[in-house]
Amino acid sequence: MSTELQTVDHSALKVNQTGIIVTVLVAFIGGVFYKPVELLIPLLAIVLLLGTFVPQLALFKQLYFQVLKPRGTVKPRPVQDRPEPHNFAQGLGGVFLAVSSALLVPFEFAGLALALLVGVLAFVNLAFGYCLGCQIYYQLGKRGLIRA
Amino acid sequence: MNPQLWAVAVAGIVVLAAALLELIRSARARRAALICEGAPSTEPYILYFTGDGCTVCRTHQEPALAKLSGVRIDKVDAIAERDLAESFHVYTLPTTVVMCTNGKALHVNYGYASARKLEGQLADARSGLGATATA
Repeated sequence: MSTELQTVDHSALKVNQTGIIVTVLVAFIGGVFYKPVELLIPLLAIVLLLGTFVPQLALFKQLYFQVLKPRGTVKPRPVQDRPEPHNFAQGLGGVFLAVSSALLVPFEFAGLALALLVGVLAFVNLAFGYCLGCQIYYQLGKRGLIRA
Repeated sequence: MNPQLWAVAVAGIVVLAAALLELIRSARARRAALICEGAPSTEPYILYFTGDGCTVCRTHQEPALAKLSGVRIDKVDAIAERDLAESFHVYTLPTTVVMCTNGKALHVNYGYASARKLEGQLADARSGLGATATA
């Protein structure tokens, strides 16, 4: 094995995925009634990308660590794991949402479709534990493109 | 038409196409992997491909494997032992391969496989099904 395992609180990941799903849904459905709500998509892209590079700025994870966990609303679920694939997946989600944001003005349906796909993938991860970004991380590691 | 409806249609088509491609890919990989051979053994055993970055391996697959009592499980780091992983066409983690006593692969599971599913596949291997299934 290439690197040491750390303790990763999977509840923080679940809160992060829930945050992504809720934000995408609010932007998607809210956009039907009031277009500016779609601005939540570029905001979510910024939140995910910031959180990837500066974990202290990961909004949904901080919501978990600062509010939900201390209040006992969400119980911690520590697992011996590596944080890198999850960070990679989050960054990938951020990149897709950034592309989605860029598409929103010229091709609104394409931007919304891409944002919806990010929401679907977050849901699949939340509900079934399948992380597409982590699988891409594995494939890149297998090809020696990143240190997996 | 409303852009939201177009978006749902496009996203739906992408999801369906991805699911279809995944089915085709796993069927192809499974067919190719089933002609692979490992070391012969007195009892059927499981090759378990995993990796550091595989969360499902730790949270789901390993507890399932722990439920299989008295079964030899050869844990393989798919990144470190790339050649072996390639020979079984491991494209996702976890991957479990049920090996017959003659060293031939009988069942290949890409993704999480439950203890019940693995028990059934091991029963196939014990019943000698592997001699014909991998021919």
